[in-house]
Amino acid sequence: MSSEIDYSCTTYYCNAGWKELLSHLSPYSWANWGIAIGLGFSVVGAAWGIWLTGSSLVGAAIKAPRIRSKNLVSVIFCEATAIYGVILAIILLNKISEPKDKVYELSDEWDFATFYFAGYGVFWSGCSVGFTNIASGISVGIAGSSCALGDAQDDSLFVKILIVEIFASALGIFGIIVGIIQSNSAQFPDA
Amino acid sequence: LTASISNMSYGNADVTLGGMSTFNMQHGFVEALVRGYRSGFLKDTDYHHMTQCDALEDVKMNLQETDYDTFLNADSTVTPAIIEARALNKLVTEFFYFRANAVEPLGQFMDYITYEYMIDNVMLLLRGTLSGRNVNELMAQCHPLGMFKESTMRNIPTFEANPRGYADLYETVLVDTPVGPYFQTFLEQSSSSIGAASEVRHVLEEVQIEILKNSLMKLYLEDFYSFCEKLGGDTADVMCELLRARADRAAINITLNSFGTPLNDATMRETDRKRLYPSIGELYPAGTELLCKVDDDVKLGQAISSYPMYHAIFEKFLNSSPEEFSIDDEFYKREVRMYELAFEGQMHFGCIYAYVKLKEQEIRNLVWISECILQRRKDQITNYIPIFSSQAEWRAESTRRGVAH
Repeated sequence: MSSEIDYSCTTYYCNAGWKELLSHLSPYSWANWGIAIGLGFSVVGAAWGIWLTGSSLVGAAIKAPRIRSKNLVSVIFCEATAIYGVILAIILLNKISEPKDKVYELSDEWDFATFYFAGYGVFWSGCSVGFTNIASGISVGIAGSSCALGDAQDDSLFVKILIVEIFASALGIFGIIVGIIQSNSAQFPDA
Repeated sequence: LTASISNMSYGNADVTLGGMSTFNMQHGFVEALVRGYRSGFLKDTDYHHMTQCDALEDVKMNLQETDYDTFLNADSTVTPAIIEARALNKLVTEFFYFRANAVEPLGQFMDYITYEYMIDNVMLLLRGTLSGRNVNELMAQCHPLGMFKESTMRNIPTFEANPRGYADLYETVLVDTPVGPYFQTFLEQSSSSIGAASEVRHVLEEVQIEILKNSLMKLYLEDFYSFCEKLGGDTADVMCELLRARADRAAINITLNSFGTPLNDATMRETDRKRLYPSIGELYPAGTELLCKVDDDVKLGQAISSYPMYHAIFEKFLNSSPEEFSIDDEFYKREVRMYELAFEGQMHFGCIYAYVKLKEQEIRNLVWISECILQRRKDQITNYIPIFSSQAEWRAESTRRGVAH
């Protein structure tokens, strides 16, 4: 730290631009955002999917009551995407540990490298899961709706359309696998 | 057109339907309901059993095995008219069940479907007074999907069937009904010709009524078409195609029915008959221009020769006698094919419109079969049009040609 640094404001927002803003966001903030996004978007995707498939299921079951129990599998597939979000959120929040000394300014021996790595890792891992699960949830919802309608007319169609749904819910699994690997080596330092 | 928002709409009819990912949120239930009811159509085996019957009581028993169930239980004697009335009641009950569960803009869409029957009812009441029939008798014959308030309906026959009478009818009775805007536009369009018409050309009352009926239908089809276009998406694609086919059929039928009436005179063809052709459909504008100049069957065939679909139907019409061929049947077959295809593809309103139309065709089939049994015309009993049947002509055609569909 030399004495040539100019501490007066040179820009309107009193910072040196995006570089300073993004690097000065606390990694704790990044990490918790990641958990929120991961969980939140997963649940949005699951809810959207259940909304789409549930309405078709209820309507079609009026004239064909036999489809009621079988087609709940579509709703369960949607629910699974929400569960992926919860699993990942729990894994991620176990990586966030409080520092032992609650000080305002971190000491110079603080492990900044691990600190920042962990913050970014947890954030983007949450994003991976969140965005893939929203797509997976909607996709399973649409396929599930068609499955209910097809099954109501002809029961041999159920298993075949279910295979389409299985592929759709695989998208959510991709997300959680990558998310777990991304956040594997991320662990917040506490000393 | 002023007839864009009906007085029964509750909200903004410009709400888009949403594509695949949002349609089910509002309309998934009703669409699934309609598709469930699709399995209630009579199948080939049901029709086969009915054609083997010798008496209408047997038909009633056969229908008890189907979705129709006990719909005739209240009637001790069965006639084709009673079968038609009860089957129509079943359709109306189902339709109002769907309507009760519908959210905008599906609600307004379903209201549009009923306007056609309202127009039919208005025309029935007006025509009935020309022949001097009792208003109660006429009201019993009205189509249940297009009923107005009873006071409105009782008032309709009290007006005269001439342009002055129509204007009075509109101002006092029809202005509050959904078909009011169509009447208003019709009056505006014909006011320019009222003065000239009654002096120069002696237009019969019959022709006036025909013109009124066809004008109202034209305005209704155009209004419905623009509403579906505004809805956009798959609904616009499917519904606009169906409505274009109806408009073309209306144009050809107007021309055919006008042969032998004053509407076919050279003076009236270019002005009055031309005004009746809808401005939607494949035949507009080039085809309808040609149709204006046509005054007999052969020339009609030449005029539509560049439209392969209608040309094929018309060739058959020209080459066969009225006994064995009815042009209406050919149009119905084509429409049944299009309505069946409207059930393909999810997430659009076309299936609801197609359901109503196909049920109507089924009722016509039932009436045909019952009439044939009653009149002992067993040779003609198989001339009904199969619905959702793997033996339908058009399905057999495509497999014969080896075309993969």
